Amino acid sequence: MGRMSILVSPELCIGCRGCQTACKEWNQLSGVKTENRGSTENPPDLTPNTFNKIRYVELPSETNMVRWLFVSQRCMHCGDAGCMKICPAPGALFRTDEGAVAFDKDKCVGCKLCVTSCPFNVPRYDEKNKISKCHLCAERIANRLEPACTKTCPTGALRFGERDALLGLAQKAGYAKVYGQADLEGLGAMYAFMDAPKIYGMNENPAIPESVVFWDNVLRPLAYLGLAGAVAASLVHYVAFGPKKIEEGKKDE
Amino acid sequence: MSNNMIKKAGGFEILNHWVLAISFFILAISGFGFLFHLEQVGSAFGGFNQMRDIHNWSGVVFAVSLFLTMFKYLTVALNFSADDMAWLGKAGGYFSKKAQMPPQDELNAGQKLLYIVVLLLGIAISVTGVIMWLRPEMADVNKWVLFSFLVHNIASDIFVIAIPIHIYLATLANPGTLRIMISGTVPVEWARKRHAKWVQKLGY
Repeated sequence: MGRMSILVSPELCIGCRGCQTACKEWNQLSGVKTENRGSTENPPDLTPNTFNKIRYVELPSETNMVRWLFVSQRCMHCGDAGCMKICPAPGALFRTDEGAVAFDKDKCVGCKLCVTSCPFNVPRYDEKNKISKCHLCAERIANRLEPACTKTCPTGALRFGERDALLGLAQKAGYAKVYGQADLEGLGAMYAFMDAPKIYGMNENPAIPESVVFWDNVLRPLAYLGLAGAVAASLVHYVAFGPKKIEEGKKDE
Repeated sequence: MSNNMIKKAGGFEILNHWVLAISFFILAISGFGFLFHLEQVGSAFGGFNQMRDIHNWSGVVFAVSLFLTMFKYLTVALNFSADDMAWLGKAGGYFSKKAQMPPQDELNAGQKLLYIVVLLLGIAISVTGVIMWLRPEMADVNKWVLFSFLVHNIASDIFVIAIPIHIYLATLANPGTLRIMISGTVPVEWARKRHAKWVQKLGY
């Protein structure tokens, strides 16, 4: 199977939040008690028990009372994932055959470095201090089922499929540029935006923090190159110069 | 102590240096385990979860041990004289077969330099480690953790370069030096060649 993805089309979304409910049901995530914040958006943010949610954006409109944008959010399953890059525990975050970024709570050491390295502020930690986030319903898609959220979406605002096919679909529907087509080696959750990503509340140029990239490219290899170099230099010095011999005749000083 | 031996390090210093060294090794090995996802290292520490705890608490031991070195070495190390600069100018004589070296204090200029480097790196790596560990409640905590992660890794890179050289200089390159970390005593003549000013001050 090729890389599988979700294509989000906010203009098709009616804000029913069936995706939120289906996600909770399939993944057996408890509800989160929230309070009225004067917005239909609820819950306000991703939580350890909320793997996806709809962001409600209200914009002024000339043709309607208001222009309402519904933006389904979840882990973006980056092709080049900042969380996986920085994670110190092998197997805690891993790439499935279908291209999802999944996790193994038993292997998570709870350091939260993935939180700092994620370009989209996605990873959350549960009460046992283990990572908790969308895994693209990894065990469903491994069994040729689609994720719970896309399965339940009644309007086609969420579509699941082979990434290339979804891109073709978006292009055919007239979207010249799909958000996430090339960013971070391609996102596993792409967005067909009619306007600038910014107004949908998305970062125009998502990127792994520069310091993490620098660490990965320079500091990490330098650790073993530096260690090996220091040991090698010591041995070379020993062969070339040998133990230090100090001249006699210093006694008067 | 026989007459021709001189005390270079006391019992507390010897013990503390071993504590510092062992905690350093635990930190470096587990750190490499995290950096390069070394499964065998993780298993040796009882899994990566336990390795994380051991790494963190070894860091505490390391920081305390490093703090305790300051009482003995800080004033000596900060006291850089013209002789020290001359010593460094000749690279400690390590790249000539028979160098005439300027007389040195209780620590030679290279040892002073190493101490200051280790102290500064040790403070940086300890503080940044604690920030990543505890993630204190504050605005921009992610930025602080990212910055700490960067500094922690820069410091650890310098450590794994500097410490093997330190070990080489204290063993193979300068036979007899390791005694300071075991018995704490060295022959007066040995000390006079290496730490002339210190030996003279002691009145030998």
